[in-house]
This record gives sequence, C-alpha cells and structure tokens, in this order.
Amino acid sequence: MRSRLPVLRMRRRYIAFQVDSEEIVPPRKLAAEIIYAQVSLLGDKGASVNRLKLISFDGRFGLLRCSHTRVDENRAVLATIYSVDGIRAALHVKGVSGTIKAATEKYIPKLSLTIAETSAENDERRIELEGVSGWIIHSYNREIDLSPDEIDRTKGSDTRYLGLTSFDLCGGCDDADGTADGLRQGDNGIQP
Amino acid sequence: MTYYESCLHSLPEGSDSPSRLAMAARRLGYEGIIICNHTGFEKFFRPDAVRSVKGIKVAFGTEVIANNPRALRSRVATARVRFPFVAVHGGSEEMNKSACEDPEVDVLLHPEEGRKILGIAAAKAAQMNQVAIGFDLHPLIRLRGSSRSRWLEVVQRNLNLARKFDLAITITTGAKSHFDLRAPRELQALAAIAGFESYEIEEALKYPARMLERNRRKWAAPGVEIL
Repeated sequence: MRSRLPVLRMRRRYIAFQVDSEEIVPPRKLAAEIIYAQVSLLGDKGASVNRLKLISFDGRFGLLRCSHTRVDENRAVLATIYSVDGIRAALHVKGVSGTIKAATEKYIPKLSLTIAETSAENDERRIELEGVSGWIIHSYNREIDLSPDEIDRTKGSDTRYLGLTSFDLCGGCDDADGTADGLRQGDNGIQP
Repeated sequence: MTYYESCLHSLPEGSDSPSRLAMAARRLGYEGIIICNHTGFEKFFRPDAVRSVKGIKVAFGTEVIANNPRALRSRVATARVRFPFVAVHGGSEEMNKSACEDPEVDVLLHPEEGRKILGIAAAKAAQMNQVAIGFDLHPLIRLRGSSRSRWLEVVQRNLNLARKFDLAITITTGAKSHFDLRAPRELQALAAIAGFESYEIEEALKYPARMLERNRRKWAAPGVEIL
C-alpha cells in the first residue's frame, strides 16, 4: 500500500541470500523457520521493527525484504538458522540492495542449479578411501557429499553426509570408478 | 582483510575433510582457517589435500582436553612441539584456571561451557601469560529460548572480565561441518547481539593470524628471538 506522503514511506532493503542444505528446502518451511528464528532471537517487539518478509526463493537463492535500519540484526537472525524442517541448512547473505531489481541483477545468478539437478548423474557411485567409504549423494564442482557406510561418522556434527572434495580423492587410493581422481572426466564442469 | 576462523573440526571428528572446510571458508571470504581437532582426533583426514585449494591459508592446530591440571600441562607441552596453534577446551573452573596459568597455551576456548564465569584469579593469570579467551558462538546458533539467554548472560560477564583485564579475544563458530561456518560479517552481526563492540570483533577475527605468525617465529626464551 502506498502512503500519500512520500516522507512517511517506509524505507526498505532487500537481502539476497543463498541456502546451503542437504536436501531441497521447501519455501514455506524456510519462511516459517526465518520467522521463528527472528522471534526467538529478538522477541516480538524486535520482530515488529524488523518487518522481515520472504519475497522469493527458488531452492538455492532467495530474496528477503526488511527495514533499512535493521540489516545487521537481520543478518544475525539469518545466521542463527541451523536446520529447516529437520534438514540441515545454512543461510549466507550474498548482498543487500535497495530495490528488488538491483538485488536480483547483482547477487542472484541467472542460471542457478538446485540440488536435484546437481545430483542427477551421481547415483550408484562409490568411494572407498582409508577410513572413509560410502556412496556419492551430490557432487557440485569439486565438492562431494558422501553418504558414509558407518552412520556413527556424522554423529558428532549432526549432518547426514560427509563433505569431501575431489582433492581428497586424488592419489593413494583405489580408483573409485575407473578414473584417477574418482570422478568421471569432464563431469560437473571439471576440466580434464 | 586478514580474518581467520580459528577453531574448526575436520574429519575424523567433524564430518568434513580439511579441504572441504577450506573451500567453504574461502567462499565466505576468510583469508585463512585453523583446523583444531580435539585430543584423540589429531590424525587429520588427508591434510595434504588442502595444498590444492588455492587462495586460502590452512593451518593445523589442536584443542587439548584434559581431566586434571597435570595431564593438561603435559599434553599442552607435547602439542606445542607439533602444532603452531594450541587451544584448550575450557569448561570446569579448575581447567580454566590451569589453562590460563600456562604460557604455552594460545587460546582458552569456551570457558563458559560449565555455566561458570572465568574468575578473577584466572583472568589475571591469562593477562600475565598472554592467553586469549576464545568465544565459541555455536550455542548462539544452536540453542533457543532460556538456555540461550543463560549462555548470553555468562558470555556477557566473561566479556566484562576480559575488558577489565585487557585480555585478547577470539571469536569462532567451532564448526564441525561446512553448514556450521558463517561469513565474517555474519559473525560480526551475531557477536554484536552477544554484546561485543564492533572494534572488539574486528580485533578478535584478526587475532589468530597474528598469533600464528608469532608462533612460527623461533623463540630461544621468552622475549628472545632467533633471527
């Protein structure tokens, strides 16, 4: 709703953020988690001043609207998010801008891959290193998420998968699927 | 910007390999990280792989756990020879005090874990021996409700002691996976909620880099350097 007097208009900032998560996070659950985290950290009164609202979220990148003086508090609120609907997740602020258009153009990449797309080709691939073995769940650039055979491995850190990189697979190990570093060459954007 | 994330835990203690933590920290804008596994997990998973990750400095350290002061002293002495960064897992009053009295210790981490404040004697000893106080912000992220407000209260009191005795401060998330890592600006916002001043946070994030640089030089005796 537009105010008649321009001086009374509420000023806004748009926060572009990225979600790192183990599985795909539903937008509704994310919005609920943000609101819960905000009320828990700042209380009802703090939340009323914040005017935090989820504008859009595509599974990886999203946009939030908030009051222009409360950006730092909102950063703290987003940093306290630990899991969304039981899925381990972390929100990282990419940037803050004054309009939706500028925030989208500056901070949200046009071609963003969701987790489902990155994991499409990684079924049924196995890694066996000394001390760690399991099935690859996702791999994105050089980052690999591994579902370990021993479930106790991830107990202390509260995650479901182990995080490795392709550098860990190089050298000194049996080839996982016939290539030297355990990744198919040219796969996932890695140049041979 | 020389921001360092000082106390991360990698495989086999956490769930990420050192190189994965390094990549995640580089993306968040850190200049370096120090991976400090607790006593008993010091055999890092593929530490050589971090050399392939360009654009970030990775150092390995250790976080000593001990049940009594004697064990602490001997473990710190052996760790000092092996690692450029030695932290102590604080908690009980006795451990906090004996860590502060040991000049070989770099950082006393989360002294508030036992819900007790540091104590004036320990703070004085820390000032004499140049032991920094490490504030682990993980409870601020993980806890909700009354337990978090209790934690905030104890941290506030420790912070007042650190200000009074002019102790060095470091801030960390104590991450065990890349999901626990937070960018420097997010840490700043979190620490501001916990009551830190902005210049303190800035200093705290830069402190581990200075500490590492000092520890890597060769010292013949306190105050005597071999050039």
